[in-house]
Amino acid sequence: MVHDSRGLRNIGISAHIDAGKTTLTERILYYTQRIHKVHEVKGKDGVGATMDSMDLERERGITISSAATHCRWKGHRINIIDTPGHVDFTIEVERALRVLDGSVLVLCAVGGVQSQSFTVDRQMSRYKVPRLAFINKCDRVGANPGRVVDQLRQRLNHNAVLMQIPLGLEANLSGIIDLVSMKAVYFQGNYGEKVVTAEIPSHLIEEARAKREELLDAASMFSDELMEAIFEEKVTEALIEEAVRKGTLLRQLTPVFLGSAYKNQGVQLLLDGVTKYLPSPPEVENIALDLDHERAPVILSPDPAMPFVALAFKLEVTPYGQLTYLRLYQGSLRKGDDIYNTRNRKKIKVGRLVRMHANEMEDIQEAFAGDILALFGVDCFSGDTFTDGKANYAMTSMLVPDPVISLAVKPKDNKAGAQMAKALGRFVKEDPTFRSFVDPESGETIISGMGELHLEIYVERMRREFEAEVETGMPQVAYREAISQRADFNYTHKKQTGGAGQYGRVEGFMEPSETGLFEFVNQIKGGAIPTEYIPALEKGFQSCLEKGLVLGFPVLGTKVTIIDGQYHPVDSSELAFRQAAVGAFKHAYRNAKPVILEPIMKVSVECPSDFQGSVMGSISQRRGTIMSSAEDGVFTAIDAEVPLAEMFGYATTLRSLTQGKAEFTMEFSRYARVPEAIGEELKKKHAENTRGRKR
Amino acid sequence: MMKEFTQRSALRMLERSDEKGLGRGNLGVLVARAGVGKTACLIHIAFDKIFQNGKVVHISLQDGPDKISAYYNVILSELMKAFRFKDDRETRSLMEKNRMILAYLNQSFELRRLRENLKNLSEKAGFKADTLVVDGLDFSKTGAETFEAFKTLAREYQVEIWFSALAHRHIAEVNERGIPYPCNSLDHFFNIILQLEPAAGSGIQIKLLKDHERPVTPEDALILDPSTFLTLV
Repeated sequence: MVHDSRGLRNIGISAHIDAGKTTLTERILYYTQRIHKVHEVKGKDGVGATMDSMDLERERGITISSAATHCRWKGHRINIIDTPGHVDFTIEVERALRVLDGSVLVLCAVGGVQSQSFTVDRQMSRYKVPRLAFINKCDRVGANPGRVVDQLRQRLNHNAVLMQIPLGLEANLSGIIDLVSMKAVYFQGNYGEKVVTAEIPSHLIEEARAKREELLDAASMFSDELMEAIFEEKVTEALIEEAVRKGTLLRQLTPVFLGSAYKNQGVQLLLDGVTKYLPSPPEVENIALDLDHERAPVILSPDPAMPFVALAFKLEVTPYGQLTYLRLYQGSLRKGDDIYNTRNRKKIKVGRLVRMHANEMEDIQEAFAGDILALFGVDCFSGDTFTDGKANYAMTSMLVPDPVISLAVKPKDNKAGAQMAKALGRFVKEDPTFRSFVDPESGETIISGMGELHLEIYVERMRREFEAEVETGMPQVAYREAISQRADFNYTHKKQTGGAGQYGRVEGFMEPSETGLFEFVNQIKGGAIPTEYIPALEKGFQSCLEKGLVLGFPVLGTKVTIIDGQYHPVDSSELAFRQAAVGAFKHAYRNAKPVILEPIMKVSVECPSDFQGSVMGSISQRRGTIMSSAEDGVFTAIDAEVPLAEMFGYATTLRSLTQGKAEFTMEFSRYARVPEAIGEELKKKHAENTRGRKR
Repeated sequence: MMKEFTQRSALRMLERSDEKGLGRGNLGVLVARAGVGKTACLIHIAFDKIFQNGKVVHISLQDGPDKISAYYNVILSELMKAFRFKDDRETRSLMEKNRMILAYLNQSFELRRLRENLKNLSEKAGFKADTLVVDGLDFSKTGAETFEAFKTLAREYQVEIWFSALAHRHIAEVNERGIPYPCNSLDHFFNIILQLEPAAGSGIQIKLLKDHERPVTPEDALILDPSTFLTLV
């Protein structure tokens, strides 16, 4: 069967929280007839938007978990991943961008480019995702799409070009003028489902012509034919569309659409834009790593006849079992096929193959390269690669940031304990930035993640979805340790307790590594330590890095070089050398002047300019460093770096400082040394806790 | 690296006058046509101060902080490459510690706001500027009263202020003191006036047109490397 994926679009919808992306998605589903009734986010009907499939999301009016959905528009198939707006859930956004071919960046016509827009845009650039912009909420008081376009250019460095201008603004928004067809478009019917085209009102013709000139100028940079046609005054819609598409796919042009999803204005034209300007799967290069050939990069072909390769990018628990979302990159998949997980080489039989629509599903028999679909009952982790067994490929691993915050959780009773374990097992599989472990010293269960809200949501989900009532401790920062200078070691591990003894001596030095990673260098000559024991030494040193000796946090960036040693023909063993490494590490670590590192967050605050001083003061009080301040009209965006330890409760502080008019986002930036006085305090506290546990 | 940088910085040219540079309370300007490297040269001036542990506020009237910050990073990388210096966190930290970017987008620049921002930086964030660099001010639309106000600000905050001014190929006006458009009617506000021009080959010539009260000579010119803005030796 010949399968053509050129009519397929895999798109994400990303935005700052409250820019209206869930409402936009809801309208898209309505116009593409996937749903037959419109519900609003926090709607009065108590139903909530279709894409917010979790109760919690409905209650908070935010989208936590991406829901995938599939729809059709004018002969094209569109897979949409609705992505969350809060930075604490960026792994969801990152995953979505990894598997998508294009994206719509939703911006609020009043708020414009806000702090979260920066984060989302950076992520899109990282995954080289071509995008369109949709300036939503043009019906709101203060809507200024022209200003938002300027912000796209100045603040996000986009070559943004208006494809449309609004017919009226704020309460007078009555339609859209399409600058390609030079027609006025009106949206009639209860939900704007009837699209009516008419001539541009005379009072807007001049403005439309001027803006069309700008569009032609920008688009002609990507098409000589269009350039010629402009000179000869023979411009056609097809020529403009082709040039805009070329610029968009090169990520050198961002077409900007306008409207108001809530007021049913402009969404259908945006859908046209998605099909016209965003790429189909064959137009995007995807690379896998060949595990049989030293992870050599392999360009995947969207050909359905090629060996099957797919990435599991999302897991979800449903009442029917685990649902695994797959993006097919190469080959095809049929119900009943055997596929292999390249991580553990486990064979899996494909039972049910479904196409998702938020939390409803449609059974399908087969899927092809480019498709996004879901499988039932597949035991795997998010990020696993599946093949047909012929190719041993791994899709480029997704960038998974380390957790920066942790929290102790304690079940209220035995029943809750069992449920909590079940919930944690599930969450860990679903979300690679969420971790859980039992602290062997305190016996407490610790959960860690990307921010306070991230963990809060999981605690809430434990209660709601798994009926696990838990108590939580105070959030703890994920500190790190690192050595700051070279230290030598020469350690002998000797044990004679009856039976075979243990003997191993190792000599060398440890120093900070330039790469920031663990490095192990073997400079032993003449077989002072037989080669079979070297891996045990490496493992021994590496195991010590899991828990530093200052505060018990992982040790970053250490290079260990071994230069000499000694073995015993009878008493030496892998275990003995492993122990020797542990002893050597303990011996040298203190001399290597270990320091404590803390996570530094990149914090972006947006506030009315009058509050700039108070916000700067609040950042400075938190040991923050202000990097920049950008005024734009009456708003100021302040970027700073602040230690995570100082950020607890900042939302409340900011609210009271600015009468609730400011907002902030933060994401992990790097680890940095803690000031000495704070380091001493942390050590004191750690010592007290250790003593307390011993008692 | 910082010592080598200081030795090869074009600003050493300014040490021939008694003031040994622009000096606190004074204004300086860099005139050039579009695309010659005004912003890069201003950033070079900023690095000269930063490496001597001075605090610099970069005021941008056109580009956002991300773009300016990226510009600084690129120039710093070029400098490190030129001096075969290891790219380390310490040098970047020094840059971040001593530099502040204030952007005023979409015509939102007002001297009143700048004054308030400088006060906030000093009082609330402990960042007391030594030098301001102002990039993107449209000289053709800026009246004498604005420069008068900048002069007052420079004296009041005891900072030196460097501007960039855009010259146009088609406007060849030069005043009797040899100062070209757009500074020809404003030169009395500036203690130092520098001109950047493309030089033969791929270099850039920096010429001193005014240096306090000292009469300038044709020797007050240097050829700079276009990527690092260091003097070519």
